[in-house]
Amino acid sequence: MLSDQQLVRRVAAEDEDAFRDLYDRYADRVFRYVLTLLRNRHLAEEAAQEAMIAVWKSARRFEGRSKVSTWVFGVARNKALDLIRREKRGDRVPDVSLVTPDPAPALRKQELVQHALGALPESQREVVFLTFYEGLSYGEISGILGIPEGTVKSRMFHAKRRLAEVLS
Amino acid sequence: MKDCERIRELIAWYATGSLRRAESAAVTGHLACCEACREELAETLRLKVGVESEVRRMPRLPDGAWKRVVASVRGEPIARIDVGSFLLGFTLGARVRRSGVPVYGDMRLLGRKIRLFNVEKEAGE
Repeated sequence: MLSDQQLVRRVAAEDEDAFRDLYDRYADRVFRYVLTLLRNRHLAEEAAQEAMIAVWKSARRFEGRSKVSTWVFGVARNKALDLIRREKRGDRVPDVSLVTPDPAPALRKQELVQHALGALPESQREVVFLTFYEGLSYGEISGILGIPEGTVKSRMFHAKRRLAEVLS
Repeated sequence: MKDCERIRELIAWYATGSLRRAESAAVTGHLACCEACREELAETLRLKVGVESEVRRMPRLPDGAWKRVVASVRGEPIARIDVGSFLLGFTLGARVRRSGVPVYGDMRLLGRKIRLFNVEKEAGE
């Protein structure tokens, strides 16, 4: 199986099969990341599609100095922020629930987590997502967000404190 | 106490195994002798599991998205000439997409497509 770096090199040479593989590896992850940022399913779909198109177009400029995942999430974040700028924020209606309803009543705790995450500011929510779901280091997150590493740590600190308050 | 603050700054990334080796060793060493930070780690791990579970329940990107992405990437074909076979052949083609009209040439060698050139004048440039 080709590595992410190898796939991007092939995508840069306009290999559509390689692009399909890269899409299969990243499209859902990108979608969930931008959904975490935008809290709106339709906008997140649009942002994820635009991000994957941008990955195709800019693969030639990827120099391999960062991990492919860091680069792809950076592209996705820019697309999500572009969409936020294009939309009047007040006009956007966040989806009431972003997750698939689960009939099991034992998920009360999960509902609390969902509520707690939704209550976080966007800047903290994305740090939580990239750390706990994507497993990125604070250095990689700093690169994606374009902020100092200390700010990443501080956002995590405040996010954890808020989450603990809601969940306790 | 100062140590605890420094360690707690790192605990989220310790929980996901993404710290540099030296930092990870420092956290491990501190945890061995600090019960409060061990509790903090346990709480962080619970949070991590909750977040992972929450994200996994989020919807997936709909199947139709790939079609829209690939249509945008490829554009609509307007001309295409194929010469040769699956094993060795050449294609010359042109497409229309929003950004312009790319003209491309591909070579097929043992079933693998190799892009020889792709010339496109971007609209608006």
